[in-house]
Amino acid sequence: MNEVLNQAIVSGLLIGGLYAVMSVGISLTWGVLKIINLAHFSFVLLGAYVTYELTTSFGWDPLLALLVVIPGGFLTGMIMQIFFELAKVDEFQSLIISFGIFIIFQSITRTIWSADFRRIGGDLNRYESMSFFIGDIAVQVAPLLAFCVAVAIAVGMSLLLGRTYFGKAVRAIVDDPEIARAYGIDVRRVAVILSGLATAFSATAGVFIATFQSLTPNMSFGWFGIVFPVVILGGLGSAVGALGAGVIVGVAAGVATTEWGPLSASLVTFLILIGALLFRPQGLFTRESST
Amino acid sequence: MNALTGTGIVKHFGGIKALDGVDVAIEEGKILGLVGPNGSGKSTLINVLSGFYPADQGKVDFGGADLLRLGPHEIAGAGLARTFQIPRPFRTMTARENVALSYMFGQRRHSLAAARRAAGQWLEFTDLEEVGDLPIDQLTLHQLKFLELARALATEPTLLLLDEVLAGLNPTEVEESIRMIQRIHDQGVTLVIVEHLVRVVTALSSTLLVLDQGRVIARGHPEVVMKQPEVIRAYLGSKWEHA
Amino acid sequence: MTTRGKALIGFAVVAVVLNLVPTLVEAFDAPGFYVTFMFTAFFWIAQAVSWNILTGYSGYFSFGQGAWFGIGVYTTGILAVKHGWPFLLALPVAGVLAGLSGLVLGMVVFRLRKLGGEIFALTTLAIAFVLASVARLYSFIDGGRGIFMTGTPLPEFLGDFRTAMFRMTFVVAFLTVLTAYLLYESRIGWGLFAIRDDEPVAHGLGVPVFRYKMLALGINALFGGLMGGVWSLQIGFVTVDDVFNIRVPLFVILMSVLGGMKHWMGPVVGAVIIYSLTDRLNSAGLEDLNQVIIGGLLIVLVLAVREGIYLRLRERWKLSLAVFAAAMAIWTIFDLATSLIWDFSYASLITVGVALLPSRRRPGESEPPSAGVPQTAAASDRSPP
Repeated sequence: MNEVLNQAIVSGLLIGGLYAVMSVGISLTWGVLKIINLAHFSFVLLGAYVTYELTTSFGWDPLLALLVVIPGGFLTGMIMQIFFELAKVDEFQSLIISFGIFIIFQSITRTIWSADFRRIGGDLNRYESMSFFIGDIAVQVAPLLAFCVAVAIAVGMSLLLGRTYFGKAVRAIVDDPEIARAYGIDVRRVAVILSGLATAFSATAGVFIATFQSLTPNMSFGWFGIVFPVVILGGLGSAVGALGAGVIVGVAAGVATTEWGPLSASLVTFLILIGALLFRPQGLFTRESST
Repeated sequence: MNALTGTGIVKHFGGIKALDGVDVAIEEGKILGLVGPNGSGKSTLINVLSGFYPADQGKVDFGGADLLRLGPHEIAGAGLARTFQIPRPFRTMTARENVALSYMFGQRRHSLAAARRAAGQWLEFTDLEEVGDLPIDQLTLHQLKFLELARALATEPTLLLLDEVLAGLNPTEVEESIRMIQRIHDQGVTLVIVEHLVRVVTALSSTLLVLDQGRVIARGHPEVVMKQPEVIRAYLGSKWEHA
Repeated sequence: MTTRGKALIGFAVVAVVLNLVPTLVEAFDAPGFYVTFMFTAFFWIAQAVSWNILTGYSGYFSFGQGAWFGIGVYTTGILAVKHGWPFLLALPVAGVLAGLSGLVLGMVVFRLRKLGGEIFALTTLAIAFVLASVARLYSFIDGGRGIFMTGTPLPEFLGDFRTAMFRMTFVVAFLTVLTAYLLYESRIGWGLFAIRDDEPVAHGLGVPVFRYKMLALGINALFGGLMGGVWSLQIGFVTVDDVFNIRVPLFVILMSVLGGMKHWMGPVVGAVIIYSLTDRLNSAGLEDLNQVIIGGLLIVLVLAVREGIYLRLRERWKLSLAVFAAAMAIWTIFDLATSLIWDFSYASLITVGVALLPSRRRPGESEPPSAGVPQTAAASDRSPP
């Protein structure tokens, strides 16, 4: 088989892990809390820029940024959800408000870091150029790490949902929040914690993006075309689904780029979204039927 | 003469057969009572007949058309209307506007101006004239249920499916509702009523259809049907009210 | 005379009065920018009003206004510049092409029973960016090189460039607002409002939901594209980044939310106010602040003034008019600001304050839970009990 194609598939697989981490946050809040939180894109972006800042200004190893980004993301997510609960927003309002937050953060990011491309220099970021070979295929360490994190999240969420009280509470809320409440589940608390988790995941994605990509504020717009196909294909609220869908989208985009050039990738991912909507709107990895 | 004849209606939800080959025949101008323990498929049948759920199999002949092949708006256009057990009025409109809208899109298309004028008559018929222009959230459950009726009637249906109109009402309201149902029946509309208050259903209906777990287990004259052993067995162990 | 008759006369009067502006500006030797300001306002009015016909009336939230705008811009660009078509011939094609694209989108998304509203919203979000990639990719569209529109010949009867832009944008904006008005008190309008309120129930009552949604989407895309087609001339050098960015989709949302999505006039008011606000911010050198303010405004508005300011102002219309007239008078007479446009901006902002006064509803009448706020179709897409 084609060397270049094999490489594209492997690279696409790994970056699919990153796509999964980027998407799992918004998928969780959408699937469980029924809120489409567009601010997640800002959290990914901020996670990336905070990593950039910690590395270039303070000499931190990029991965150490996780120590700041994860709790920071968690806290932010909790605050957001508390705000939504207190203001008693309905679906429409949450969509607009999260859109407003996204726009504001976009502007703040541009003001602080300008529109110039920023990249963590190779001297500060050893992950950037780290790679090893399996046969003739190059495996870049940075996306590989992201992939591992995606797997960890998928496994972790599965265990969380399946084996813990919290997980059972979440599943009850997905089914019927009113009844969950009637059974004594503190829906608010679960929602806040879940929102924190989701945001932490999104911010984590940002850390990995910073390790091997050039950053510019407008890059978050490019993510819409990746995250939504992953979320729909993977099924709302499913971390495992996000991983699977991320891989599919990653490979498809990678192969498309190799065959037809970089700009075809977004067209391909969009077609995946449309295809998912047409043929399997509940996602590839969920067991429900579509009625 | 049958207003509606349904044969072999099947509806699955995932692995559950909500309707497992249901046959139903509704005589024109009569009242058919649809009863059965919880989960027997009564509401599902209403939803399938009115087009809210697509059926998986079956055929329903209504005035020469196969309802299972039509979309909800076409079914309304054919002359079939339904009410909701938990009222679903348009909350951004007043009661009058709800009725006017219904009239506009009903069996015979009407203009907006005509609809505005005509809405009053249904509000009067259902004793809602006084609350017709208030915001919806000021109406009581009883009034909302009557609004369901007014709205359904405004489509000028030949067949009306009433889904648990009496649920949640106090005895006085139940009496008023029963009288309303009879008034509707007197207008010549064919009715299907789904109710848990068996005594009421038996008194109102000319025919009773009993469902259990998606299947028809009895059909016929109410007094006779309710004494049948299968029917009693189906109800044993599940809560049901004698009115 | 019927209310509709009176309204149509009102429309005609407004049309005549507005069209006197370019002549008046010249006659009084006023800055040509006044004309530019007005026709840019027309641009935003058309975009916001056409967007509201879909989102406000039907409840199907669209992030995709940029797509129709972009299709319109590029169609006139390609036909008029690359293929030498007369501009006024290319223009309707732009509108039709955008409209058809909207219908194609509708065919795909509206056919899906269960997912409707939210999925529609997100698909529209992705669509503009995809179109951008496609435009960049294919050189028969753009290929990354842009299209140079300046100097495209226009028929003489339209006058000089500025007057021509004024006339063209006026016609499109006028048609858009007129359509919004006519739909508002019509079967279709009522059907759309019912869809917004509770689509399955509306469907069951006989509203042909698919047909009506397609109509709303088609009209939205048509006028968005038509105005985009006109606007290509104003852009001058058309590039993908310039056209397919977040600005148009964002602003139309903001303008309609501010003005009010329940009434056909809402987006008109919102467009004028937001446009003058951002225009003044830009001229004061505060462009960066623009987006933060926009985002913040969006959040505050959607929480505080749920049905939009137009309906609130209408409750106290005498007060609103008086406040506006007084503010304008004070600012112009005492020369408090540097130009008429600044005067107008300040006066409008003060008038917006009137909308913040508590809603004057008849005693005993509570505000319906979602007055003026369209439920996204997703919210009302519950399956029946």
